[in-house]
Amino acid sequence: MKQAKTVRLALKAIGMNKMRTFLMMLGIIIGITTLTVIVSVGKGASAKVMKSIQNFGANAVLIFAGGGKVMGPPDEKVNTLTLEDSQAILQEVKGIRSMDTALIRVGRTVKYEDNNTNTVIYGGTTNYGDAWEWPVESGDYFTEEDMGSMARVAVLGKTVVRELYGDADPIGTNIRIENVNFKVVGVLGPRGTSPMGMDMDSRIIVPYTTAARRVFNTPYVSLIRIAAADPNQVEKIESDVAALLTDRHRIQAGFPEDFRVRGASSVSKMAKGMMGTLNLFLGLVSLISLAVGGLVVMNIMLISVGERVKEIGLRRALGARKQDVRSQFLIESSLITVMGGLIGVVVGLVVSVLLPIMSKGKMAALPSWEPFVLGFVFSAMVGILAGIHPATKAAEMDPVVALKG
Amino acid sequence: MIELKDITKTYRKNGGMEVNVLQGVSLRIEKGEYVAIMAPSGMGKSTLMNIIGCLDRPSTGEYRLDGIEVEKMDDDSLSSVRNKKIGFVFQSFHLLPRTTALENVQLPLIYSTDETDMDARAGAALDEVGLGDRMHHVPGELSGGQQQRVAIARSLVNDPSILLADEPTGNLDTASSTEVMSIFDKLHKDGRTIIMVTHSDEIAQRAGRVIKMRDGRIVSDDRRAA
Repeated sequence: MKQAKTVRLALKAIGMNKMRTFLMMLGIIIGITTLTVIVSVGKGASAKVMKSIQNFGANAVLIFAGGGKVMGPPDEKVNTLTLEDSQAILQEVKGIRSMDTALIRVGRTVKYEDNNTNTVIYGGTTNYGDAWEWPVESGDYFTEEDMGSMARVAVLGKTVVRELYGDADPIGTNIRIENVNFKVVGVLGPRGTSPMGMDMDSRIIVPYTTAARRVFNTPYVSLIRIAAADPNQVEKIESDVAALLTDRHRIQAGFPEDFRVRGASSVSKMAKGMMGTLNLFLGLVSLISLAVGGLVVMNIMLISVGERVKEIGLRRALGARKQDVRSQFLIESSLITVMGGLIGVVVGLVVSVLLPIMSKGKMAALPSWEPFVLGFVFSAMVGILAGIHPATKAAEMDPVVALKG
Repeated sequence: MIELKDITKTYRKNGGMEVNVLQGVSLRIEKGEYVAIMAPSGMGKSTLMNIIGCLDRPSTGEYRLDGIEVEKMDDDSLSSVRNKKIGFVFQSFHLLPRTTALENVQLPLIYSTDETDMDARAGAALDEVGLGDRMHHVPGELSGGQQQRVAIARSLVNDPSILLADEPTGNLDTASSTEVMSIFDKLHKDGRTIIMVTHSDEIAQRAGRVIKMRDGRIVSDDRRAA
């Protein structure tokens, strides 16, 4: 009853100056909104990373031509990886279940009738389906015979099919890649995005021999993909491959490598590292706005204490103890921040729902209940911390002086 | 019963100068007395009221309230004494704005240990000052006289033994003053101790005892047959 009355009186005091109350809440709203979005985006991103690691393949090791870059598609002008390298890896590194050697070019124009699109041309081997663990959805992969005869046949990713054909069946039709005619023999099943956010379905698979001699005229290799027999051996394969290539390329200790070896574990580390940086940044934004919000609350509470000196004197005269006055102002400041916090959580959850829609799926966010707990705890903490100084000032006033105003 | 013995109060002003506001006041007020304190401004009557009301402490001297030595109490105990034994009525009413009469009257109950029937007790106090039908009005909707009556109801709600009124009619017109004073008369008849600071001889005449002060001392103390 008594506590209920105190809270009601505090609510009344808060309601008396709505604009001021809103200003006091604003910083907290922004802070808790950011916090809520961080939690949702963090959850969404980690779900997305898990999914994309699955897409990458838990037992996969990728070897890229050229060093330096952290991640991303192979560089066209780099001629550091050869067919001989790939043969050596297959012979000397143990634990390989399947291996695909590829020549890759990105952003190439592909035409079907009047439609065209830009996509990745992947000149691979007949091991593609096994090494990538990626079955065709319809039609079939090209054969060893096609490899031998440099056949102009192509297997299309889902995105390419959608952009060139819409709903029509592409199998048996002819497309032009870099002005060379190819016959479509198969369509890949859908795969989704890579850990780095690339659309893995935007690619066309053609025989390596055809790509190397008929289209791009280069004998080099851009990428080697290994599927390990056992996922536990991935890191061993990574280091074995790195050692072998360092030796074959005669790279002296201390000099940069001219290739990159990436396994599932290093990819997930990188993805988590990127996420961690984003979260750290957003966390900082949230912390700063909560701190600024707290300072605003404190200052306005100080003004409010100054304006209500007579009320404080009156309450003291009517029998309020110092601690009664202190808790009154603490309840006021924490009620304001907690209300701001709850508004922030709701706004944050709305943003979390809208974010994936507005970014067309580029940003993932997973709304959850945790922000309510975090929002409540953080905003209550800010309210109490911001209220201590004004509340103590109010409580320590001399009642005689306060009554005179 | 109030017993003051050689009470002095010294303030240190900002410049460091000491001001002796009370210079040895001894006074005894029995239960049920109606006392008017008169003094020119700045002659210590407010300080005396604050000390009697346990809002302020004397610099030296003894103050016993119903036999308890007030000057030895800590701040929380003084708050409790103010809440239970003393009802304050101020010249400028001191009502909370935008808060109903009922809620204003309930304010002392929030700080009391007895939290039962807050609405009923506050309602009864408002009935006693004749404002039972204005319970849900806010101060802005009430006349000055009515506001002061709400304040009187607030001072009564914890059933204190002493009412301290500091120029309760100072901000009121004649009609409202008469109205408020008749309530004090009635409260006195009901057996309450009333101590009132006033400038007005007319109002002082209603009291059974008039104490005049000057320069921090009592200069006269006249009892009249009621």
